[in-house]
Amino acid sequence: MEFEPMEEFEQQLREALERRPAPPSLKRKLMASRRAERPATPMPAWQRLAASVALAAVLGGAVTWRHVEERRKGEAAREQVLTALRITGHALDQINTQLAAHSRAPQE
Amino acid sequence: MAHDWQPDFEQLVDEHQSMVFSLAARMTGDRGLAEEIAQDVFMELDRHLGRIESAAHACFWLRRVAMSRSADALRRRRVRGVDLWVEMEEHHGSPAEGRSSPLGSRLEQLLATLPEPQRAALVLRYQEDLTPEEIAATLASPVATVKSHLQRGLKLLRAKAANHLKEYVRGI
Repeated sequence: MEFEPMEEFEQQLREALERRPAPPSLKRKLMASRRAERPATPMPAWQRLAASVALAAVLGGAVTWRHVEERRKGEAAREQVLTALRITGHALDQINTQLAAHSRAPQE
Repeated sequence: MAHDWQPDFEQLVDEHQSMVFSLAARMTGDRGLAEEIAQDVFMELDRHLGRIESAAHACFWLRRVAMSRSADALRRRRVRGVDLWVEMEEHHGSPAEGRSSPLGSRLEQLLATLPEPQRAALVLRYQEDLTPEEIAATLASPVATVKSHLQRGLKLLRAKAANHLKEYVRGI
């Protein structure tokens, strides 16, 4: 006994193995999973680049501002020290003058 | 290398869901499992979308991953010591159920009894109409091995059909 010739058998196999439609739930579940995995649309490359540049500018500005601010505070502290030294020097001069005047007074 | 093709995930799903689902269903014999495999395959495609260079590449990639994932599912079932096809038909019905042609349904059932490598080669040959070289590329096997699986699988399937499908055999 023989099945049909091979070519016909192959043809029947081809027909038997036609693609089947996927269940409608497949696409629905897929799109839901996809939405769950990536809630927001990814940023385009140019937006990512612009955001990176903006972030770098903000960080750079912050670092520069901090540097300038520290320098300003240092200058102010230096000025305060110099002022204090000037005041102290002035006071010492006055004391010296008074002492000199006091030491001359008994001799007179 | 830069490429101009802009993949649209939803369009790829529309175009290829039937192919991916059918490959997984015929390899595993389980519609529910096939749907899960198809979901995994497309979600992986979504993650690799940037590396897909053309529509043909997408189709090739989907076939390859669908076959690989189906083989993984079969391997997991074997590790569990389960007779896949018996369990599947008990839980989800015959993979060929709902088909209009009785001969087609029976052929599909007989195909399911073939060894996995022969079944894979025949499904890609007769469902996807691939050449042995294309099947070899999809399964990452030597062409000679694929040709051997095709010949042996077809011969075995034909012998099974002659034994089990006598009512459909011409001249009986």
